[in-house]
Amino acid sequence: MIPLYGFLEGDTIGLLILADEDDTGAVLIQKLQASARVRVKTKARVRLLHNGLTIDPQTTVAQARIAALDRIDVVEAPSR
Amino acid sequence: MLKRSQWLEAARKLDWEFSYVGEEEVFPGVMSGHPWLSHEHWKQWDEPYRTSYAEYVQTQAKKEASLRAVHEALGTADDLRKLPIAWINALKLHAATLPLAEFAAVIGNLRGARFGRDSAWRTMSTLGALDEMRHTQIPLALMHDLVRHDEQFDWTHRFYHTNNWVAIAGRHLMDELLLSSNAIEFAVATHFVFETGFTNLQFVALSSLAHSVGDRMFEKMVNSIQSDEARHAQIGHPVLTAVLKHDRAYAQYLLDKWFWRSWLLFSVVTGFSMDYLTPVEHRSRSFKEFTEEWVIDQYQRSVDELGLEKPWYWDTFLSSLENYHHMVYASAYTYRASVWFDFVVPSPAERDWLRSKYPRTWDLYDPIWQNVTERWEESDVGNDFAVHGTAIVTFCDLCQLVLCGGSPTYNTAETLVRDGKKYIFCSKPCRWIFEREPERYAAHKDVVKRVLAGEAPANLIAMLTRYFGLSFETWGKDATAGDYPWMKRGKSR
Repeated sequence: MIPLYGFLEGDTIGLLILADEDDTGAVLIQKLQASARVRVKTKARVRLLHNGLTIDPQTTVAQARIAALDRIDVVEAPSR
Repeated sequence: MLKRSQWLEAARKLDWEFSYVGEEEVFPGVMSGHPWLSHEHWKQWDEPYRTSYAEYVQTQAKKEASLRAVHEALGTADDLRKLPIAWINALKLHAATLPLAEFAAVIGNLRGARFGRDSAWRTMSTLGALDEMRHTQIPLALMHDLVRHDEQFDWTHRFYHTNNWVAIAGRHLMDELLLSSNAIEFAVATHFVFETGFTNLQFVALSSLAHSVGDRMFEKMVNSIQSDEARHAQIGHPVLTAVLKHDRAYAQYLLDKWFWRSWLLFSVVTGFSMDYLTPVEHRSRSFKEFTEEWVIDQYQRSVDELGLEKPWYWDTFLSSLENYHHMVYASAYTYRASVWFDFVVPSPAERDWLRSKYPRTWDLYDPIWQNVTERWEESDVGNDFAVHGTAIVTFCDLCQLVLCGGSPTYNTAETLVRDGKKYIFCSKPCRWIFEREPERYAAHKDVVKRVLAGEAPANLIAMLTRYFGLSFETWGKDATAGDYPWMKRGKSR
């Protein structure tokens, strides 16, 4: 398991997210949204950021070189 | 018979030249602090109260008699039950965080009484230590006594002896501020910044709210404590003046470091109490307005008069005044079982009031309370865990408080790699303090690091009971069991 600091836009606190190397960006988004849902309603149009870069939803944790205790953010995606 | 004016100076100012040890051996820098200066530079040290021990005892005896009368008249279960339920939880928050921190302040003052660089400073610190002993005993006597009516008041004594996350943060601050600081840092940090800069929020502003809700015992208690604080807080200014004269940069550093550390504590304890745990009909002003009057105006004036600067993070501080306690309260409400007092959901009227007081930021928080409200409306009364978080929350490696910096739009947490280890901080000022003295802070593990190291359980219930020291009877719940008259229960079923 890879512990990550997760921050969801609209939330008030950072949460610890336990990820697997094979988790995709989409899975990380789902994990963080589920962890915060007591405070923040789940939104469909969001994106994952790591070190300021957007991570493709299909890219895995290993491929994105997301390491233990890194910060990830889930933010609203810009409207098309 | 000598007149007071004839003997007082001989009692207060009793310095002498050392014959068989050097001055630096009597007052080593590690205990007395930086900058180390010979007594020549301290001998003009003075403060305005100039109290003798006899006068001190006479004054304190009257205060004790007055408090005892209030306790005897107002300390019953009926008196407690008359108070608003939310306010009782503000009391529990104060009951836990106040008394044993004051006991640590006894030790800090005694360090000043031994290692302060002038005899008048040492005399005043001796009286300060007696004050802080009193400030330990009074809340223990008045508030722990309430355990007979409500088990959560046991945390008046228990709090600092646990590994509860708030206690870890409290100890991290108080151990450094009160137990391990040298005499100079203690005087500047505790007397000038903490007591002169912040405690009026409690002693004047919160006291006025206590009066409004009808809590005469708390009001009398903090007023009695305030009269002592006003005296011994005077130690700070002359010490800071001397430090400033010889090392301006260090004086500025001490102010900036301790202003931020003090601010985070008051923002949580006083911010919760004023903006959430005081019923809206009893609120005269918001936490922000009280802080503007009793902290910002006064602190700015003090540093201006000394020719010092506002802290470099002043804009961050002003932003946090509109956000931080809202961030922590919403987070703590949804992790209320991790603390020893109960919480309330702000009603629609309270949310309107908060919007009027925080027009720039409240709309970022309102959706969270709407979400919490809807979850309660879909749940059974008393089913606290239906409206409770289960993921592990994260903590700052400096202040040890939850990562609630910034706003819901952007959390200001910052990471740092040092000697191969990763750290995270809630804010730039916390990171800055850590980086100024990493050897002081780097080895301390926050709660998450303890979980990852296998030193604390990851399972929520095990964490609450085995590590945080709570039980089903004492852990925090919704104070109304989620049964608010304004909620539309079952609306979404």
